[in-house]
Amino acid sequence: MSTVLPEQGSRIRSWVTGFRRRETLAAYGFLSPWIIGFLVFMAAPMIASLVLSLTDYDALRPANFVGMSNYQQLLLDPKVRVSLANTLIYTVMMVPGTMVIALALALLLAKVGRRSVGFFRTVFYLPVVTPKVAVGVLFLLLFNGQVGLINSALSLVGIHGPQWSTDPLWVKPGLVLMHLWAVGGTVVIYLAALKNVPRDLYEAATIDGASAWQRFRRVTLPMISGALFFTFIVETIAGLQTFDEAYAAFYGSAASATYSSDAALFYLIYLFQQAFQFLHLGYASAMAWLLFIVIIVITAIQVRLSRRFVYYEGR
Amino acid sequence: MSAKRDRILFWVILTAVSVLFVYPFLWLISASLKPRDQVFDNVLIPTTWAPGNYVSIWQVAPVLSWFVNSVVVAIAAALTVTVASAVVAFGFAYFRFPGRNALFGLVLATMMLPGAATMIPVYLIWNSVGLATTQVPLWAANLFGSAFYIFLLRQFFLGLPRELFEAARIDGASYWTLFWRIAVPLCRPALIVVAIFELKASWSDLLKPLIYLRDPALYTLPRGLKAISDQFGQAGEQRWEIVLAGSVVTIVPMIVIFFLAQRHFVEGIATQARKG
Amino acid sequence: MGFGTGDEIATTRVALADKAVAPFPVKIGGSAFDAQQFLSAVASHTAPDVIYLDRQLIGTYAARGTLEPLENCIAGQHIDMDQYRPAAVAEVTLNGKVYGLPESYDNRVLVVNNGAVRSVGLRPSDINPADRTALSRVTATLTEHASDGDVSRIGFDPKMPEFFPLWAKASGVQMLSDDGLRANLDDPRLVKVLEYTVGLIDQQGGWGSVKAFRDSFDFFGAKNPLMRDQLAAYPVDDWYLNVLGNVSPNVDMTVMPFTDTAGKPVDWATGSTWAIPAGSRHKDQACTWIKTMTDAPTWIAAAKVRAAKRRAQGKVFTGVFTGNKVADKTIFSDLVKLADKPAFDTAVRTVLEVQDSAFSMPASPAGSEFKSAWQDAVNRVLSGQQKPTEALAQAQQEAQLAIDNAVRRQ
Repeated sequence: MSTVLPEQGSRIRSWVTGFRRRETLAAYGFLSPWIIGFLVFMAAPMIASLVLSLTDYDALRPANFVGMSNYQQLLLDPKVRVSLANTLIYTVMMVPGTMVIALALALLLAKVGRRSVGFFRTVFYLPVVTPKVAVGVLFLLLFNGQVGLINSALSLVGIHGPQWSTDPLWVKPGLVLMHLWAVGGTVVIYLAALKNVPRDLYEAATIDGASAWQRFRRVTLPMISGALFFTFIVETIAGLQTFDEAYAAFYGSAASATYSSDAALFYLIYLFQQAFQFLHLGYASAMAWLLFIVIIVITAIQVRLSRRFVYYEGR
Repeated sequence: MSAKRDRILFWVILTAVSVLFVYPFLWLISASLKPRDQVFDNVLIPTTWAPGNYVSIWQVAPVLSWFVNSVVVAIAAALTVTVASAVVAFGFAYFRFPGRNALFGLVLATMMLPGAATMIPVYLIWNSVGLATTQVPLWAANLFGSAFYIFLLRQFFLGLPRELFEAARIDGASYWTLFWRIAVPLCRPALIVVAIFELKASWSDLLKPLIYLRDPALYTLPRGLKAISDQFGQAGEQRWEIVLAGSVVTIVPMIVIFFLAQRHFVEGIATQARKG
Repeated sequence: MGFGTGDEIATTRVALADKAVAPFPVKIGGSAFDAQQFLSAVASHTAPDVIYLDRQLIGTYAARGTLEPLENCIAGQHIDMDQYRPAAVAEVTLNGKVYGLPESYDNRVLVVNNGAVRSVGLRPSDINPADRTALSRVTATLTEHASDGDVSRIGFDPKMPEFFPLWAKASGVQMLSDDGLRANLDDPRLVKVLEYTVGLIDQQGGWGSVKAFRDSFDFFGAKNPLMRDQLAAYPVDDWYLNVLGNVSPNVDMTVMPFTDTAGKPVDWATGSTWAIPAGSRHKDQACTWIKTMTDAPTWIAAAKVRAAKRRAQGKVFTGVFTGNKVADKTIFSDLVKLADKPAFDTAVRTVLEVQDSAFSMPASPAGSEFKSAWQDAVNRVLSGQQKPTEALAQAQQEAQLAIDNAVRRQ
């Protein structure tokens, strides 16, 4: 470029800049759907919900500014505490449960023959494509304490199963079990990650005299830690927002309201009730922001943990 | 020898687990074909066959309408999100422009946004344009693309050799032509993956129909199944056979699509893992 | 919205009401009243012209301005409010304004399975809610368990949480002040009531197994719990007598009033009501329609249809408890003939006796939240999550908060 004459250079530069400008314009043209969507369906609503949370708006009458009183009520409302606790307990049971079982199944799958993998993968993935509503409805039927399939099966081995759908102690474990039925999605992710682990690492470890457990801990886990971390975060966020199965099984009809015992009152369900059953939109918006903050905090903690534990190739 | 024994052991365990996973489906189908008082007899082959359940369900609930509604909404959702996400993904993949990385970072960030945070104002937005009781809110947001699919498709577009596009540019192709006639056909498998994923997500969605649909004639199948469960289930008339038949009708289409497009489903998830 | 058109009582009346507003087209949305659907309909200005809901809930919707006061409707159509039972009208009146026309009057009476009672050497009169200690003892005698420990016959089902107000009143406790503004859920006597009734369930095997057992019943069929000896005694809604008359007309039962601790009959009456949303665009037609649905001639016509049908099938017609005094009089004097079915005859007479002195829950601007509060409290105790004192204290907090909020926003 140094041999180009100054006036040619500026012409080239302005041509390049013009080209750039056209390209930028075109780029933003392609991006415009998302940008519009972001502004209309994400940015504006976030701000709106913050504003709403400071009012007592109920879509039927004009809104009144009430300051922080919604947030104060959040702290006093027994159901907020209960639903938050339920959600956290469920997530703490569900996420490790999902990861461990999925990893175990993936490890098994990785060891069997190539042809069988497809078959088993299909089997494990079938429940994943089952709509969660149906899973919730099935839950009530399969887990019925008296005549349900689960307890009948347990009694075959001499265990007197608990009242899954009415005993508050067992409702959440029951829901976790039902959710574990759909572990196939995670299994597939782990399987793909396992297949990406270079064979020679295992061979080298074996030559060095590592046992199966050591190979697992020192080779497998670090090499798939990316996938583990990914599912850890995704499953946690999903768990904190669980809604479909529990709502389908325990809420939504006047009759089920008669027997609800709050054991399956998850945060999003209570939020939904406040927002759309009672139209307490201001209060529900405050609840939504509380959830948002909880999710951000938990995710941030998880990300910090990942820096310590996750191994990235080439770092 | 020990490796072979291990293999057999793993095979046995996997088979046992598979039975565990598949049995609820078998139970569901079998129970849906039994008369009401035998639903819980836990015998796999019905002693009395009651295929009439599938006729009854049509009579007590507008299941056909619900099925059609679900199909329409799911296809609308899948088509719009695939096209929109592809457009945006191409924008990120092909072009060089100021703010590209920051903007893409923003896209990624929105993947973490919990739906609950925007649920209420979005409802108010649809309400203000008079669409809050229609099926439109169930899919129309997809016109603007979805962060997850944008991320996925961008990966595929990035994998296309730049020379292809350069050659077309020299021939005078417009940016749109580059997208529509080069990138899209080459990445068809990925697009199919996206469409199928969204098809499944839309079909299974319960929350949006709960919020927006008021007229039972407009219900999607999951929403309808919930209504069936409320009216005919535990807390209702306890006509289990209706609830079961309804469950089967809700699940079967997804299973059929899954078998037809198995390869795509699994590949889609696997891609997530590789990039994750 | 909210009305199911399943049976001939409904269809006959709907036909008459439709005729009264003809040629105006009437469309019935068949699903049960759903708070969310109604409110979202109001919020989107697509509310139906008429809704049908539980009387206990109407205060909440009236207080939020979503319902039309019926003064003009009543005056314009010359509706005689005296024809309805006073307790029902009180339930739909808030701040002196009437918001609904009552429909149906569900009373509570005791049903005793004679066979079960006799098999343990007792008589039906031994089931006596007035003597709570004796009731516990009798319950223990009547309960049966299978070899695996599960319940195989419930001795006495106190019908909790549904009938909590009945038990409360029977112990002299009022759960809500007459003006509907002060909840009284943490009253120590109410705690005792809750402890007692939950105790009845616990002594029979605990809520888990009792409820699971109950859930497996075929209540509405010929193999109902009374016929299959799965249940010995329990309080019921009077419409269940109608169900029994239809599916098991030869059931061997005794029906008695539920009594308070002094032995006097006590009856908690609830029911449904028609109301007109404030956003209705056809208020006059709506008014005519609901007036016709609930007036005496319509009820009588419907009752005639059912009576004839039952007679033709050889089944029992137990009358219809309409909430309309005028209709009741005719129906029960002319149409109900139970001389050949002594069990049902006594049953109907019992209900008629207690109807006049029935009590209802006062209307409240947070009626729906109030109901949720005490129901949830009872459920928490039943499932062992909380002790009665804490549960009711929490319910009191929730209910009073809701009431105060509703009053403030009015």
